[in-house]
Amino acid sequence: MKAFLTAIRTALPQAILDNNQLAAEYEGWSAEKIYSKTGIRTRHIAAPDECASDLAVRAAQSLMAHVDMDPSNVDYLLYCTQTPDYILPTTACVLQHRLGLPLCCGALDFNLGCSGYVYGLGLAKALIETGQARTLLLITADTYSKLINPADKSVRTLFGDGAAATLIVAAEEESLTGPFVYGTDGAGAKNLIVPSGGMRQAAVPEAQLVPDDSGNARTVNDLYMNGAEVFNFTLRMVPEAVRQLLAKAGIESQAIDLFVFHQANRFMLDHLRRKLQIPADKFVIAMEQVGNTVSSSIPIALQQAQEQGQLKPGALVMLVGFGVGYSWGATLIRWAPTSS
Amino acid sequence: MSRSEFLRALESELGLPAQSLKQNQELAAIESWDSMAAVQFIALADEKIGINISGDQIANAKTIDELLSLCGDRLNA
Repeated sequence: MKAFLTAIRTALPQAILDNNQLAAEYEGWSAEKIYSKTGIRTRHIAAPDECASDLAVRAAQSLMAHVDMDPSNVDYLLYCTQTPDYILPTTACVLQHRLGLPLCCGALDFNLGCSGYVYGLGLAKALIETGQARTLLLITADTYSKLINPADKSVRTLFGDGAAATLIVAAEEESLTGPFVYGTDGAGAKNLIVPSGGMRQAAVPEAQLVPDDSGNARTVNDLYMNGAEVFNFTLRMVPEAVRQLLAKAGIESQAIDLFVFHQANRFMLDHLRRKLQIPADKFVIAMEQVGNTVSSSIPIALQQAQEQGQLKPGALVMLVGFGVGYSWGATLIRWAPTSS
Repeated sequence: MSRSEFLRALESELGLPAQSLKQNQELAAIESWDSMAAVQFIALADEKIGINISGDQIANAKTIDELLSLCGDRLNA
């Protein structure tokens, strides 16, 4: 059996953080300047009592309604998140119950960020081709906003909350053709990290707000990103991953119909596009309304590209996810959804 | 590429008037030198010279001159 990607549906929180609000809070930054530097106008922000899993439920229910499928048909749930409901139990188990998936369904969380969707597709392909699953739900969801200190404009302008649910089924026709290229470099762990709250260091009550050289401030309990280092990493690794994937597939870049990269920031994407000599009409930019939605950024971009006609049935699409970890993954898919 | 050519390109990238960046200028004194500018510098070095400069290297540079020195011998005087 082959892995066929049937459909993608997304879910975003209702509340919006736009550039005017950010400009009002941060001296010297106009709304237009924020847009020109990041390519983002709005980010969706989860409500105080709204978890990533709540967005996951909405995305999954929207997806199942769209394909007119009863939840009892799902036999495997993969949930990618870095903002789980609990340290334990597994949030995917809770999702099984909330979504009404059957008791015979397998379910697990996996903790990846920007590379998560590509890894999720790899796992889905493996599970289906080995006969372990026939109807698989891959859900990505995160609420990075809850990890960000309001005094840290460097990350507050970039990240948005959101979820995406993807249905992958066993079929004669294949979407997840592969090949896959993976990569990991833990030397970069410290460059995109929430230092406390895990087993290594407990969350610090009343932690001290520490300013940095750029006028941003955060505590040890908050998300920290060394933008320059992460950018340096993407410049080194993404072109190499693209080259490795094309070599593995035995094709040239011109054979690819559409490139969908993790939507980290506009400046980085534009630079990569030029560096890789990819024509603009073959390169998806889909972050203006949602920001960087971590592992949901690729499926959200795919959904947007399809709605806008940039992604057509039969297209050969290259997906490249890269970031926190450091972790990266790249793959090819043949886009042929049953219904748009 | 010469140092002054690279400086002109950097000025353009940062939206600064041509000839406004001087080699002995302190980075801390330049208003538009922030974390985003560091990223733009990395991108420029990658695009114009094809070298990979890290954030740590940039953080240690105090003047424009020290910044340009990170590009090594790829930049002519």
